[in-house]
Amino acid sequence: MIELKGITKTFRQRDGSAFHALKDVDLKVLDGEFLSIIGPSGCGKTTLMRMVGGLAKADAGEIFIDGRRVNGPGPERAIVFQNFVLLPWVDVTSNVTFGLEMRGLSKKEARKTAQKEIERVGLTGFEGHYPHELSGGMQQRVGLARALAVNPEILLMDEPFASVDAQTRQILQDDLIRIWQEERKTVIFITHSMEEAVYLSDRVAVMERGPGRISELFDIHLPRPRDYSSRNDVEFTSLTTHIWGLLKTAYEKDGDVPSDD
Amino acid sequence: MPARPAWTTSALQSVGGWLQENLPVIVKLSSLSVLFIVWEVYARQQPNHLTISPFSDVVSTVPDLLGQSEVRSAFWDTLQPFFTGLGLALLVGIPIGLVLGQSPFLRGLLTPYLSFLNALPISAIVPLVVIGFGVGMSSRVTVVFLFAIVDIVLNSAAGVQFVRQELIEMSKSFGANRLQTFWRVTLPGSMPGVMTGVRLGTGRAIVGMVVVELLLVSVGVGRLISGYRGRFQTDELYAIVLIIAVLGVVLLEVVRRIEARVLHWRK
Repeated sequence: MIELKGITKTFRQRDGSAFHALKDVDLKVLDGEFLSIIGPSGCGKTTLMRMVGGLAKADAGEIFIDGRRVNGPGPERAIVFQNFVLLPWVDVTSNVTFGLEMRGLSKKEARKTAQKEIERVGLTGFEGHYPHELSGGMQQRVGLARALAVNPEILLMDEPFASVDAQTRQILQDDLIRIWQEERKTVIFITHSMEEAVYLSDRVAVMERGPGRISELFDIHLPRPRDYSSRNDVEFTSLTTHIWGLLKTAYEKDGDVPSDD
Repeated sequence: MPARPAWTTSALQSVGGWLQENLPVIVKLSSLSVLFIVWEVYARQQPNHLTISPFSDVVSTVPDLLGQSEVRSAFWDTLQPFFTGLGLALLVGIPIGLVLGQSPFLRGLLTPYLSFLNALPISAIVPLVVIGFGVGMSSRVTVVFLFAIVDIVLNSAAGVQFVRQELIEMSKSFGANRLQTFWRVTLPGSMPGVMTGVRLGTGRAIVGMVVVELLLVSVGVGRLISGYRGRFQTDELYAIVLIIAVLGVVLLEVVRRIEARVLHWRK
């Protein structure tokens, strides 16, 4: 279980005033739960995810994973980044083996595991390609395979499908949901899209900005297993409409708060 | 108009294709030929060839010169300090650059020296080098080294600073320690900068090599040049300069190919 307690982060702005990126955020994510965090730019959702990943530190508050305090990155967590963040100088296989090799696996063992994940994300045949030879969607599949390869308990995804076109995005969502339903890892999924959040998640946290905080938490009672047809469910439509109503007010309010993400 | 037989069309197409593929080379060669023709015509119009030799004479002198053991050993004497100085500059400059790129503190510490070396025409410190090291091999190596090292250090350091910060974070997030991150991310990521340093440094080392030959008491190619000049052997004089120019072009082309090979992953 992931526990966030009283997370607070303040940035100093150029004019000297304080910008409350996050204020007193409490959140619990259960084991095997798919939780999406949605909110306008500048609400601190990415910062929050980076803290769980151990890449950023809170000014106040603590994060616990299974009771242990988070003090940096750990082997039970893996991140899928918004801009893919692949190593451009190595091929798909070597990108996927990266995390495994950092954890001390031999190249041979790492390649074996990587091959399985490459198949799982649908990149068979592209093992020897370099990132610049792949489309954005395929690059993010590599990013996903790299994270899955280290077999983390927790998958942290930072707007992973924000940089690809709408059709590719739907296909990636369908594939992610299929993979997740195979072995239910704990996922924190940051997104701007309420359809994406509702379609994928067990729960959706809606954040507001100025100061950044969680304003609402929804249970998504869309039946599992889900696939592309779940988007036609009445529940899906009513939930997205409802969340959009909330987000709209968040967007309209504090329109002049600067954004940081 | 009657239809052309198929073979002419395909022959024309293949000629067209050949032209298109080799266009850059054709352009370069034509540009060079213009220079050589102007040179040839101008030199032929001179009453004598004491000040300028026709291009064709110069070219035909080149094999004669390369056949002389005196000339070959002169080139050896010149190239030895060149390769030693450049090699040392790479060996010392790249690691220093990589360290500087990662440490703002060391950057602050060394920047005055680098700016000093960068701003000062290196030729101006040749007399100082001679006072310090004499006129022997070590002086030549030092001058080439000093010419080459600044660009190598500065570009390697810049290469490190251009490595995407996200990649470093990604590496950390997968549990890499500092050393692993350096070998797997920072070093390969800095190669564009490092290779630019190697290329510019090689160019500067060639300049250093020539400066050494002209400003120091020469044992190598510089001695040949002053000898030919003194004896009005204009053909030989031009031929030597031509050989040096071609050597420089070939060296830089070799470096460019190494660069392309190392950076094959870039679009």
